[in-house]
Amino acid sequence: MTAILQTVFDALSLGSLYALGALGIALIFGVMRLVNFAHGDVIAFSIFALLWPSTDVVAAVVAGNLPWFLLIPFVLAMGAGLSVLAEIVVFRRFRNASPATMMIASFALGFVIRYFLLMLFSSRPKSISLLPALSQPVEVLGARIPLLQLITILTTIAILFGLTAFLKRSRFGLEMRAAAENFTMARVLGVRANRVIMGAFALSGALAAAIALILGSQTGTADIQMGTNVMLMAFIATVIGGLGSLPGAVIAGFLLGAASVAMQVSLSIDARPFRDAFVYGAVILVLIFRPQGLLAGRGTKERV
Amino acid sequence: MKNWSKLTTALVVAAVTGAPAWAADDDRIVVGFATAESGFMQAYDKPAQDAAMIRIGEINAAGGLLGKQIEVVNADTKTDRAEGAKAGLSVIDAGADLVVVSCDYDFGSPAALTAESSGLVSFFLCAESIKAGIQGVGPHSFSASVLAAVQGATMAQWSYEKKEARSYYRLLDTWTEYNKGICDGFDWMLPQLADATLVGEDTFKNEDASIAAQITRIKSLPEEPDAIMLCTMMPGAVSAIKQIRAAGINSMILNGSAVDGSYWLSAVPDLSNFYVPVQGSIYGDDPNGDVTAFNAKYVEATGGDPSTQYVYPGYVLIDVWAKAVERAGTTDADAVVAELEKMVDEPTLFGPRTFNSEIHHQNKARYLIVETNAGTPAVVDEWTISEPIPVDALMK
Amino acid sequence: MSNRPSIARRTLATPLILSLLLIAFALVAVAAGSKPFNQTMIDIFLRVTLVVGLYVFVGNSGVISFGHIGFTCLGAYAAAWLTMPPMMKQTLLPGLPEWLIAVQLPYWAAAVLAALWAALWAAVFGKILMRLSGIAASIATFAMLAMINTVYSNWENVTGATSSVVGIPIVRTIWPYLIVAIVAVFIAWGHAISRAGLKLRAARDEPTAASASGIDLPRERLIAFVVSGGVMGLGGALFSHSIGVVTPDTFYLGLTFTTLSMLVVGGMGSLSGAVIGVLVLSTLIQVLRWLEAGVSIGTSTLALPNGVQEIALGIVMIVILAFRPSGLMGNTELNWRRAKTADPGASGQPE
Repeated sequence: MTAILQTVFDALSLGSLYALGALGIALIFGVMRLVNFAHGDVIAFSIFALLWPSTDVVAAVVAGNLPWFLLIPFVLAMGAGLSVLAEIVVFRRFRNASPATMMIASFALGFVIRYFLLMLFSSRPKSISLLPALSQPVEVLGARIPLLQLITILTTIAILFGLTAFLKRSRFGLEMRAAAENFTMARVLGVRANRVIMGAFALSGALAAAIALILGSQTGTADIQMGTNVMLMAFIATVIGGLGSLPGAVIAGFLLGAASVAMQVSLSIDARPFRDAFVYGAVILVLIFRPQGLLAGRGTKERV
Repeated sequence: MKNWSKLTTALVVAAVTGAPAWAADDDRIVVGFATAESGFMQAYDKPAQDAAMIRIGEINAAGGLLGKQIEVVNADTKTDRAEGAKAGLSVIDAGADLVVVSCDYDFGSPAALTAESSGLVSFFLCAESIKAGIQGVGPHSFSASVLAAVQGATMAQWSYEKKEARSYYRLLDTWTEYNKGICDGFDWMLPQLADATLVGEDTFKNEDASIAAQITRIKSLPEEPDAIMLCTMMPGAVSAIKQIRAAGINSMILNGSAVDGSYWLSAVPDLSNFYVPVQGSIYGDDPNGDVTAFNAKYVEATGGDPSTQYVYPGYVLIDVWAKAVERAGTTDADAVVAELEKMVDEPTLFGPRTFNSEIHHQNKARYLIVETNAGTPAVVDEWTISEPIPVDALMK
Repeated sequence: MSNRPSIARRTLATPLILSLLLIAFALVAVAAGSKPFNQTMIDIFLRVTLVVGLYVFVGNSGVISFGHIGFTCLGAYAAAWLTMPPMMKQTLLPGLPEWLIAVQLPYWAAAVLAALWAALWAAVFGKILMRLSGIAASIATFAMLAMINTVYSNWENVTGATSSVVGIPIVRTIWPYLIVAIVAVFIAWGHAISRAGLKLRAARDEPTAASASGIDLPRERLIAFVVSGGVMGLGGALFSHSIGVVTPDTFYLGLTFTTLSMLVVGGMGSLSGAVIGVLVLSTLIQVLRWLEAGVSIGTSTLALPNGVQEIALGIVMIVILAFRPSGLMGNTELNWRRAKTADPGASGQPE
């Protein structure tokens, strides 16, 4: 029984990461049909913002020594800031470009961010001690799980509720939902496009930073590639969730996490290394049967 | 291709003679480094190459090799295989007698293959796969480090003999050949240890954001294993170790050399019961005083302490190659290979080295055991496996 | 289709000009006479082959595929299986079937078989995937790439898992690579003016009209997918001979994005764009590398810090796309009379 409970927690915590990532990608896709391949690099950037640029193998942590109530807003602001900067400097010039062009531009931007970090920090992964108090087990209903796992799940749920309330209640949220549903119509009706898009980028960047915080404290490592894997899974979650549908992205993120953990638990030792092949096979199946995604977003007519 | 003027020269020379622009000139002794100066392998190649340069400096200061000063040429592989082949060709064009290639077998082999097809000796800076040698690249290829399998076997036997470990759990990161090599050595040794049992095994991927499911499997064992053989490398290793300890598993953790170094320990505060095999100690407590002296020299040359034991094979490489050249009286590849293959327990600063016509690698070696206790690593023992790992087991 | 020969004649200029361009590049390499530079040129021809292969599907269908490098992987390993010495296969890849271990072909024959092998798998995957469109299709192709990569990274005794497979004969002259690049260009052109290619492009540009006129979109896409899969496989086979080692991670995200970027920067909708994209970006990369290595001006040497090359490349790509969102060539093709028609045979009726 406790083993099952433990597995459920494992699936939820992995799913949380994917769900947060998928939300970040879906927000931007919703307002400007951009599949943002720089998202993974925003994740990496947020964590490196805590370190002092140096090529030493021992990372000189500067901002990382802040107390947690300053550290968390700092990292979130870093992610949001970079994301907004990306929109102002780069993506604003691609408003009318085809999705393929935007996608490659976002990839090129990610490439620039990655090599910028590589130049400042060299390639050796840095070890960091981020929020070390979280690395201890706690007892929940008889299962001993790492405190961080619990916090990850709770934070994700809190973010989801917070975001839903924000999008439902605030005027900004209303504008954003209107823009996601029908961007042209929303503009005609007086939605300030630039403001909404910038808001979406800021939120998306902050979500990336939240992932960075979780990954950073979970793995104890700042690695230039650390965002890639989560981003790819998040990207898949966004599509099978139904592009443009925020709840769909979240549900699909949790499903992917659950599928991955379920495969790891149930496959025989010889088949376990092939786990991802099964997960991706399942993705193809879902797409074949529901090409528009699990929850198709309204008004998101295909443009890619 | 170093610069425009060289291109112009090449054009002119090629036009006039139709011959390769920089034909090898045998009055010089040239060591060519086709290694990563950028990209992620740079973090591994640079320190080992610095150590190699220290040995070259020492030889040159003592009058050179065969009475000539050793010259050095470099080409950047950019941590890319196709660029690696180009880098190999570049240093060969520049007259290299010895081609030193990237630390890792996968990234070094394209350059090593260019050396092999030009009939030159190639040395991997610190590759630990048997294929970085005769079995993969060819008969002129060597590695200065010790096979990964020896590390796994060493940890298994040492923990059994000295720590009375009896129940083992095997956790393999399937990312690289190196990781699998450690577990292969462990698998070879375990059946030879009476009443030692494997109570479970699992795999993960280095890039996995979470290995919670794997940890749950360990925790659902009836009792905690005495030791976990963790076959992985950076950056995933830190994450795995941190997650294992965060889940409250306190078993002894056995590792390969790839997790040596104190630079990452801050990520897992107060880590204990953690063991790593190393060829030499970077912590200033090596039983051989000369290693500590070398560390000081390294600080002088590079401005920083050696960060891991992977600095050392670079030094060994130049050392054994130069000895072979001295004995052969020439840099001719076949003669040098013949001399290298005569080496049996050749003493080096970091333990004895043996090469023969069957294997250009160490399938048995003396290892120091470093224990990390309450976040502080220190040498606690040394161990040499009772017999060399047979080539068949390594090729399985 | 009585007008096919005239379409061919009208558009033949495009592959001819592109071939001449490639030959010119090859002659520069021969003139330079330096081994590393020669190898650089080989890389460029390989990329031309891959990007042109990608164009056959992406360009004509308008569907972005993240999966094509999977076929390159299939081709590269097939070439390795067919050309390695049987002794080495016996020890390194004992899981291969007897007959495959025993066989050892010359590299060109192996390359043809490798291309067919890749095309076969493209047909299998395509049969399933081609009814998807848009971003669902893109993600499905990515899932396919990840599946191929996972299988090849772990199938120990058949692919050697993540370890480099060595023993593949190395071919260091540029001519085979040049020939394959030119062959790829002609295959792409041949497909573009074929009935299937014309229908596919019509459907790309006018989806509603195309479906009204009864074009079987999944079928036309499948044809393009198989042809381009074959070209990607051919490129993969030659890739394995260019450096003599193959590993699964060579054929994953890095190469996928490199080739896609070159295609989009060149101009996704045009064969000339595919070739020009590779040539322009490769030249840029090479120049930046020289700058990074240092250039002597008079007595002083000017060198860029390491890493600037990649950053500059990314910025240049963004700038090109900002000013030319549909790529350097847009939808036009090179022609004797400057850029007159749109894509080859665009003026020809689909039926």
